[in-house]
Amino acid sequence: MSLTAERLDRIQPSLTIAISTVARGMIAEGKNVISLSQGEPDFDTPRNIKDAAIRALENGETKYTDVSGTQVLRRAVATKFARDSGIEYKPEEIIISTGAKQVLFNAMLATLNAGDEVIIPSPCWVSYPDIVTLADGKPVLVPCGQNNGFKLRAEDLEAAITPKTRWFMLNNPCNPTGAAYSAEELKPICEVLMRHPHVWVLTDDIYDKLTYDGFKPGTIVAVEPRLKDRTLTVHGVSKSYAMTGWRIGFAGGPVALIKAMDKLQSQSTSNPNSIAQAAAVEALLGQQDTVEAMRKVFEQRRDLVVEMLNQAPGINCSKPEGAFYVYPSIHGCIGKTSAGGKLIKDDEAFALTLLAEEGVATVHGAAFCYPGYIRISYANATDELHEACVRIQRFCQGLH
Amino acid sequence: MPALAKRIALVQLAPSVQMTIKARELRAAGKPVITLTTGEPNFDSPPHAIAAAHQAALQGDTKYPPQDGTRVLKEAIQRKFKRDSGLDYALDEITVGNGGKQCLFNAIMATVDPGDEVIIPVPSWIAYAQMVQLCEGVPVLVNCPQNNGFKPRAEDIEAAITPRTKWLILNNPNNPTGACCSPAEIAGIAAVMRRHPHVWVLSDDMYEHLVFDGFQPATFAQVAPDLKERTLTVSGVSKTYAMTGWRVGFAGGPKPLIRAMTVMQGQATAGISTVGQAAAAAALNGPQDGVNVQIEAYQRRRDLAVEMLNAAKGISCHKPEGAFYVFPNVAGCLGKTTAGGRTLNTDEDVCLALLEENFVATVHGAAYHMSPFLRISTATADDELLEGLRRIQTFCEGLR
Repeated sequence: MSLTAERLDRIQPSLTIAISTVARGMIAEGKNVISLSQGEPDFDTPRNIKDAAIRALENGETKYTDVSGTQVLRRAVATKFARDSGIEYKPEEIIISTGAKQVLFNAMLATLNAGDEVIIPSPCWVSYPDIVTLADGKPVLVPCGQNNGFKLRAEDLEAAITPKTRWFMLNNPCNPTGAAYSAEELKPICEVLMRHPHVWVLTDDIYDKLTYDGFKPGTIVAVEPRLKDRTLTVHGVSKSYAMTGWRIGFAGGPVALIKAMDKLQSQSTSNPNSIAQAAAVEALLGQQDTVEAMRKVFEQRRDLVVEMLNQAPGINCSKPEGAFYVYPSIHGCIGKTSAGGKLIKDDEAFALTLLAEEGVATVHGAAFCYPGYIRISYANATDELHEACVRIQRFCQGLH
Repeated sequence: MPALAKRIALVQLAPSVQMTIKARELRAAGKPVITLTTGEPNFDSPPHAIAAAHQAALQGDTKYPPQDGTRVLKEAIQRKFKRDSGLDYALDEITVGNGGKQCLFNAIMATVDPGDEVIIPVPSWIAYAQMVQLCEGVPVLVNCPQNNGFKPRAEDIEAAITPRTKWLILNNPNNPTGACCSPAEIAGIAAVMRRHPHVWVLSDDMYEHLVFDGFQPATFAQVAPDLKERTLTVSGVSKTYAMTGWRVGFAGGPKPLIRAMTVMQGQATAGISTVGQAAAAAALNGPQDGVNVQIEAYQRRRDLAVEMLNAAKGISCHKPEGAFYVFPNVAGCLGKTTAGGRTLNTDEDVCLALLEENFVATVHGAAYHMSPFLRISTATADDELLEGLRRIQTFCEGLR
């Protein structure tokens, strides 16, 4: 009998292992490596949030909470959804989990039977298809081309829906492309979804505070309230409040779904850390100035990175609406040879060679189910970003 | 609404949670409810653990942690396994979860295929069977009767083993009975396991430090070092250090299993809260004398509970070796009628009547796969416990 279960064997080994292994080796050798591969803000958690955690420590908030999170935090989340998105959720329509990832995991395990299909626009965060696979479901990837701003076309969504479709998952703004949908852009997508009442809708809005040039992202339930009773609106404090390590994500959705997710969570982890929950309350209800301060810095960095990347021969970088990633095409570099004599046969070779020759760590597009690109995170100090872009330019100029 | 998954129908909210919610509702309605349902210490977390969390937050330990735990915590766990059980685990043989529960969940999800069998001696914590069912595995329950001190007999375990058996789960001391196998009794089970090399052993030692009367507990891998290569040793800080809300559990085991569990965790939640990990490391590394104070209290309360329950008409209560539960037999109450006119046919009837007539919340034995019993938690302040036990006596007096 094999040790591991078949469901685990179905998960692809991480495609980023090769790159992170090389990066670790280079750092251990004392080489200067600039990492543009991380999915977390480089800022520290704001002080008012830490202070709330410290108050919770002093108050002895160290006991089990309700599995689905404290009443106080669920009410704070309700306030947040109403304030930021205009969606009314009651506390019993909300669940708090150990990261938004657990929200997705709970939702898929709670709803998918073997062979059920989940439509995922790609490029996408690789955890989406992995979690679907783990829950015995079948990811159906719908490519969203750069020529459409990496956004899903309503007709492509319509064409992908079958009687076996159980979910449609949208990440708005998107990791890895930064593409975001306005309310207007979501309308045709909602129209398609209205025609298919057997499909659940998941909108992962975790990056929605990070949009630029005045862009205002929409969210499904606000655009089409009639989808509310089959939509799960997912969010968390990690990206907006620089709180990745605290591990607090949450979702609002119909009571029956939230209850099913709660049951699952009661058997897999119980409540998320009680102190982190107290910190999250302050994040959501306290002053929001630091969010705006971080957003402004991210905007400047995005502009810097897009401009500098587009000056590198062979690279074509779209300017995305949000998140802290850009997703440049490196098609113009494929087939060439680096200054160090390496053939750039694909995006992985590009990322590996860029790392080896210039000490810049990125993630190749295949890891987001969409090769021919690399993902660059600009959640890094501005001077480091500048230096990294100089190196990328030099690397591309050296290709022949 | 679109449908839920079939597996979700197999999962229920833990009965102890349901009873706690009922008790809370009655209390909110102004009733003087005494809650003997909870599985959490009524002590505060150690001050050095709180100080460590405080420091972690202030120092900016707020970024994504490694999925299998921070190095500092894993080193503390490594020392703990050596110090308490003489077990040597390398750092890559250790993983950290959101509570011991997640370690168990990871292990089961990562290894149990549909149809695989998991042997669970009962009475047992409900989550074991639920996790197995979530994976479409088959829980195989082995009775551990009161006349054997609620301990598993080696021959009963052997009789339950089939070619499909994947795991044997041992919980020492046991929730809900408090029973704890001696090293000699574990050696008897190990002898069986040597004859069945396809079966893995999961030793859940969450209550390992809470034993009384000088009892010397041992964990499976310590008693049978030759079986360490197919044993997972699980523990955590919740019960020993009164740190339930922090949600930090851990496991030591062979590298391929730990790696598989980490893959699971990577999909379900990723790493767990950094402040919780810092606090747990401090609890494991720091002074251990606070634990002894708690053990003395639990022993005193166990003695009180056993004595007073045995003085109640129709109840027979075994005196357990550890944990903070007693598991009295209420067979003598069945078939009778309460002062409030209810007929008692099952332990659930007893439990509900006791709550609604005398305002004492307990959990019925059926929730732990053995009837007719009640689980009574002694993790309750002395005066409250005393009052609760008095009410149980009154309740029994009133039975006709």
